[in-house]
Amino acid sequence: MWGALLRRWGRGGGRRGLSGGGPPSAAPWSQVVSEAEKIVGYPTSFMSLRCLLSDELSNIAMQVRKLVGTKHPLLDTARGFVYDSRNNLQMRGLVVLLISKAAGPSTAELSFQHNMVSGIYSSQRSLAEITELIHTAFLVHRGIVNIGELKSCDGPLKDMQFGNKMAVLSGDFLLANACTSLAQLQNTKVVELISSAIGDLVQGIYYENSRSSENCLTDDIGISTWKKQVFLSHSALLAKSCQAAMELAKHSAEMQDMAFRYGKHMSMSHKLHSDLQPFVKESSSDAMAFSLNCAPAVLHQEFLGRDAWIKQIREAQGKGNLMDYKKLQEAIKAGKGVTSAIDLCRCHGNRALAALESFPPSEARAALANIVHAVTRFS
Amino acid sequence: MASGENRAYVLQLARRFTGSSRPFLCEKGLSVTQGAFESCTSVSARASTARWKRTDRFAGCSCKRRKFSAPEQKSMCHFPQRSSVWPFPKLCSIPWRFYHTSTALMCSCSKTVSDEKYQDPFQLGRKDLKNLYEDIKKELLVSTAELREMCEYYFDGKGKAFRPMIVVLMARACNIHHSNSREVQASQRSVAIIAEMIHTASLVHDDVIDDANSRRGKMTVNQIWGERKAVLAGDFILSAASLALARIGNTTIISVLTQVIEDLVRGEFLQLGSKENENERFAHYLEKTFKKTASLIANSCKAVSILGCPDPKVHEIAYQYGKNVGIAFQLIDDVLDFTSCADHLGKPAAADLKLGLATGPVLFACRQFPEMNAMIMRRFSKPGDVERARKYVLQSDGVQQTTYLAQRYCHEATREISKLRPSPEREALIQLTEMVLMRDK
Repeated sequence: MWGALLRRWGRGGGRRGLSGGGPPSAAPWSQVVSEAEKIVGYPTSFMSLRCLLSDELSNIAMQVRKLVGTKHPLLDTARGFVYDSRNNLQMRGLVVLLISKAAGPSTAELSFQHNMVSGIYSSQRSLAEITELIHTAFLVHRGIVNIGELKSCDGPLKDMQFGNKMAVLSGDFLLANACTSLAQLQNTKVVELISSAIGDLVQGIYYENSRSSENCLTDDIGISTWKKQVFLSHSALLAKSCQAAMELAKHSAEMQDMAFRYGKHMSMSHKLHSDLQPFVKESSSDAMAFSLNCAPAVLHQEFLGRDAWIKQIREAQGKGNLMDYKKLQEAIKAGKGVTSAIDLCRCHGNRALAALESFPPSEARAALANIVHAVTRFS
Repeated sequence: MASGENRAYVLQLARRFTGSSRPFLCEKGLSVTQGAFESCTSVSARASTARWKRTDRFAGCSCKRRKFSAPEQKSMCHFPQRSSVWPFPKLCSIPWRFYHTSTALMCSCSKTVSDEKYQDPFQLGRKDLKNLYEDIKKELLVSTAELREMCEYYFDGKGKAFRPMIVVLMARACNIHHSNSREVQASQRSVAIIAEMIHTASLVHDDVIDDANSRRGKMTVNQIWGERKAVLAGDFILSAASLALARIGNTTIISVLTQVIEDLVRGEFLQLGSKENENERFAHYLEKTFKKTASLIANSCKAVSILGCPDPKVHEIAYQYGKNVGIAFQLIDDVLDFTSCADHLGKPAAADLKLGLATGPVLFACRQFPEMNAMIMRRFSKPGDVERARKYVLQSDGVQQTTYLAQRYCHEATREISKLRPSPEREALIQLTEMVLMRDK
């Protein structure tokens, strides 16, 4: 299977740091996740077996093996897919299942209750799978390389072109599978919601890309722009999937709205939590590299003013344009950026919890609340 | 290998893949039977048969009941006068494809067609497509100027809009067949828009996969904005298409058009592999051709037929027409890769060979020059392979055989669509099959 193959190459070349937020404070998080998985009665993988066992993916797995030893990011994505699967990657599918179970059958749909397994409709399980497929497809498409910008240290051009080809194809394959499963749900409203979520995701990733590609260090964005962009890149898919899960069980518009809110605010606080990690972890001896567009930095700039912030960056940059992240980190910690990012994280967490109030008390609801507690804990 | 054998092989292939054992050419009173047809000695005679038949239908030539021997046909090869009004340019330059045809004499019996409605088959669909590109742009709601520019890049009105045209003509033909309605429904027009969007999204991704530099005479999206952004633009167009699809509000239509997306990806995967065995290789090629090109046309035709008419037989006719035209369209595309020059195509010539792809003309040529086998297997990767393969193809009858195979698919498409109630739109769809064969870009 793909996973097994990937694991084998994983031992090859040295693992590069995965961007995109590691698990927040590992112990409680993995505990929360493993307990939640028991509630939905499902094994950890939400990727459909049909998809993983397909000729196409095994074809890709064979081809991607040729990339071992090159610097194409597709390898990192593939490795991350294996290593992180216990923590981060399948979080979206899990949340969709939990919220489905928390909402239960709607009174309008009692006749379909026999379709439920562990209190979740099979269509909702498909939706959880679709959400993961889309998320993974974009992890893969995020890792496309601009051929024109390659330098000689990136290795042979041919390898990178091949890597791109595989990345486009495998991402498209996952997306096409998501579309097929989506069509099988036979619900135009759900197709509409998820299609618009894909559109949001593309725009969000586009913002991310245009920041990192241009040579300017920070964008002059305020926290409200930051929130808008992070909603697109990190929250829209989960929020709309949660809403769609309610639609599949024919729950009311208010219930759909509450599910949307939970998905939105939970993933916002999740993103804030991972942005905050470099600033709250005491143990690390040398500072992790962090994005200058992370929430604490953006808030720091809001308090300090653009010019003073640029000045601090210049001071940290030193010779040879090598950034002294430790120094910069201290500068941000000295200001109000970190505390107000923590406040913002908790604020979103509270709004997620408030949305949960509309659901009847249950194990599943408690698990959803625990997820929020895990991503708003800083200690 | 003798070209006679090759021809028998084409017939066998055509039968296998169009699923028909009927002779194709005995419709409309043309008295060339398949036996006589197969006894024709040269490809040019066959080509002129096709052209002859076309004028026969449209110019109402008085000698249509006569039985021709091959040399006679050759001498009667001619073109209709009204070719200048056809939307595809340079119709008169067709014989280049059959370059060993030396005689292309104008026939004395050709008449100018007076009947206005047949002058331009596209005229019927054109009013439905009037604001096609503006409406597509309305679907592409993006806040970022650059992303919007990338997404709109190919919707500049300079494309052929071949797919939307087929789709609206099919919609009209089905509506007339069912209820004599002369209107195109809004949902049917949406299908035309979605078809063009899905097609464009796949072009953007294909260009990244193939690392292509030019398309339709301009630089590709990946060339201008880089691969990272190009892939996102393709994804965005697809999501917008899928949103428009959902808004039609019909789950059957969603399923039919989603099949296209799956086929496109699977077709791209088929293109990665190559087959050792000759027969398998051809089947593989035709399957890839169906998935990458014909599925979109077939399923969008099916979608508009479902919206216009409840009869499943009509849905099948629409699907079969689209499938056969789609395969013919791609076969001719593969021929043009060998016979047309880069300036004319808007993309580099012999592009397929350079990508390591063995298309129809190569597979036929390989039957005459078995030494090409090794080149196909190594995907023309050795220096000089591309040039040598190109030379072999042009020496062989691969181009003609592929054109001929395309003709068979077009005939099959015509046979299918002829089952619908007669209408100007139906005739336009029949004419369209011939334009697919005659196009030079």
